[in-house]
Amino acid sequence: MGVLLEVENLTTEFVTRGGVVRAADDVSWDVGEGETVALVGESGCGKSVSALSIMRLVAPPAGRIVGGRVLFKGRDLLALSDEAMRQIRGREIAMIFQEPMTSLNPVLSIGRQLTEGLEIHLGITPREARQRAGELLAMVGIPDSERRLGQYPHQFSGGMRQRMMIAMALACNPSLILADEPTTALDVTIQAQILELMKDLSRRLAVAMLIITHNLGVVARYADRVNVMYAGRIVERGTARELYANPRHPYTLGLLRSVPRLDEPRRARLDPIEGQPPDLTRLGAGCAFAPRCAFQVARCAVERPRLVPIGGGGHVSACWEAANLDRAVARSGAAT
Amino acid sequence: MSHDAPLLEVRNLVKHFHVGGGLFGGRAGVVRAVDDVSFSIRRGETLGLVGESGCGKTTTGRCILQLERPTRGQIVFEGRDLTTLGEDELRPVRRKMQVIFQDPYSSLNPRMTVGQIIAEPLAVHGIVPDPAQRAARVRELLGHVGLLPQHARRYPHQLSGGQRQRVGIARALAVEPALIICDEPVSALDVSIQAQIINLLEDLQAQFGLTYLFVAHDLSVVRHISDRVAVMYLGKIVEITDRKSLYDAPLHPYTKALLSAVPIPDPALEAQRERVVLGGEVPSALNPPSGCVFHPRCPIAVDRCRGEVPELREIRPGHRAACILA
Repeated sequence: MGVLLEVENLTTEFVTRGGVVRAADDVSWDVGEGETVALVGESGCGKSVSALSIMRLVAPPAGRIVGGRVLFKGRDLLALSDEAMRQIRGREIAMIFQEPMTSLNPVLSIGRQLTEGLEIHLGITPREARQRAGELLAMVGIPDSERRLGQYPHQFSGGMRQRMMIAMALACNPSLILADEPTTALDVTIQAQILELMKDLSRRLAVAMLIITHNLGVVARYADRVNVMYAGRIVERGTARELYANPRHPYTLGLLRSVPRLDEPRRARLDPIEGQPPDLTRLGAGCAFAPRCAFQVARCAVERPRLVPIGGGGHVSACWEAANLDRAVARSGAAT
Repeated sequence: MSHDAPLLEVRNLVKHFHVGGGLFGGRAGVVRAVDDVSFSIRRGETLGLVGESGCGKTTTGRCILQLERPTRGQIVFEGRDLTTLGEDELRPVRRKMQVIFQDPYSSLNPRMTVGQIIAEPLAVHGIVPDPAQRAARVRELLGHVGLLPQHARRYPHQLSGGQRQRVGIARALAVEPALIICDEPVSALDVSIQAQIINLLEDLQAQFGLTYLFVAHDLSVVRHISDRVAVMYLGKIVEITDRKSLYDAPLHPYTKALLSAVPIPDPALEAQRERVVLGGEVPSALNPPSGCVFHPRCPIAVDRCRGEVPELREIRPGHRAACILA
């Protein structure tokens, strides 16, 4: 499996009233051809900004990509002309957003929103585009597609709108889809439908996917590899199985422990991560997670840990105590 | 009143909304948001109310609070039917019932300090008329919800989501209510903060003997916090029982599908798991299906389900479900 997208040392800053915020701080990760990779983290950790940076959709003057490279099929997207980037956006790399109602145009028909991209990117005739649009709707499970093409987004339910977004994303046969919280706004049963649809289509069409989410269950079911982000940095990465079975960053461990699980006996008390996420304008020299960390040592306050390999299989963690974490976990597990 | 009498009893609650036929024309219709719902909550108990958007769980909460006047049915709180009371008679009752909303940002006044927000109900209800004593009470309440005295001078926008939800909880606690309706109180919060707030709600319940109606769509959270659980679909309760029975041995096919739709944070388990993925979508409450409202999406529906409205009947002791096949 070749590497499709390689993000190297990406740094994106925003100017806010409180000061300059590094929303993505020296972030590196990659997606293989046909692979599904997850970026996991809580609000403000930089996961959405990473995706927007790849698409060069960070809005100046407040937001700026200040460093790094985004290699897509070997070409650095950050060095492309605006015109060349437009050829990539929507055609080679497509995006699905959390709230489909705000990302669809309310005054354009469903058909027109699908055909617009097809005509621009593929240079096909309106008639061909309309036929393809009908096929796309059928592919994402919207029946009666001919009639549906004439309707408007408000006539679609939330689940159908997200199907429509997926159809738009797939329209030009992209090789990568960036899905930013694709099912967060949907009901549980509809969420299951949409995720199964995305998984099925990505396999069938061999599209690689980057899923951005805060939902650890969604990640467990759908991702091959996982990057965990905290305060603008990746703190742990590994295959989904390795990461869940053997978390080696206290933040990952804390996230996994804080959620109640249906497959386990009910606990008398939940085990939250205490404290609040940090103010990104006031990060110190040390590890950003240290103030909330149950495993911190003196070094954590003064020196920021870098990602280092743990075991094999590409598992990396940015924690001074990573090597001792399994023993610490065993101890605390025995204590509770 | 005997100690065993329920704190709240909802009897055959019906709430219809009339829509359409307005400025833009359109056909007039009736949305059956809540359609013959009955349940009761004992003192100190937590009843989870689960369902997807539009199932009527929030409207049920609003009817209990008398923020919506029910179309039919009774809301018996501490032995009195609230639907028969006028606004003046309701005011003292409202003190006993408080609500915590999903989005603490939009439910807190951005131009008031945290101290003013928490002190307001104390002044309005004349509970602590003296301003100095009120300030002391605000500090005490901040302490109960894990905030510091200096937070009283902050504005909502200066707080994080979790801190704002703590303020919402402090405001609800201020009037010493008996019942708190928690309407999706953690769904807008980050995962690591959700657990903090849930633990806080449980601590406060133990400390003050609170009774909760916990409205949510997250089945894992509901299992953690609830003593009993009711599952709603399209305005009706389809299953209601104690926590253990519901999660260990669900009877209604909708409950089973909901449970199966929750992804479990364990890739090894998820890979082996069989899922019931429901087809279709929740139909409109404007035009609900005939017979059992769930039949168009039900994986086990038979012909009878199309014509017969299933009764919510006791299938095992203390375990009721509205399915003819259960």
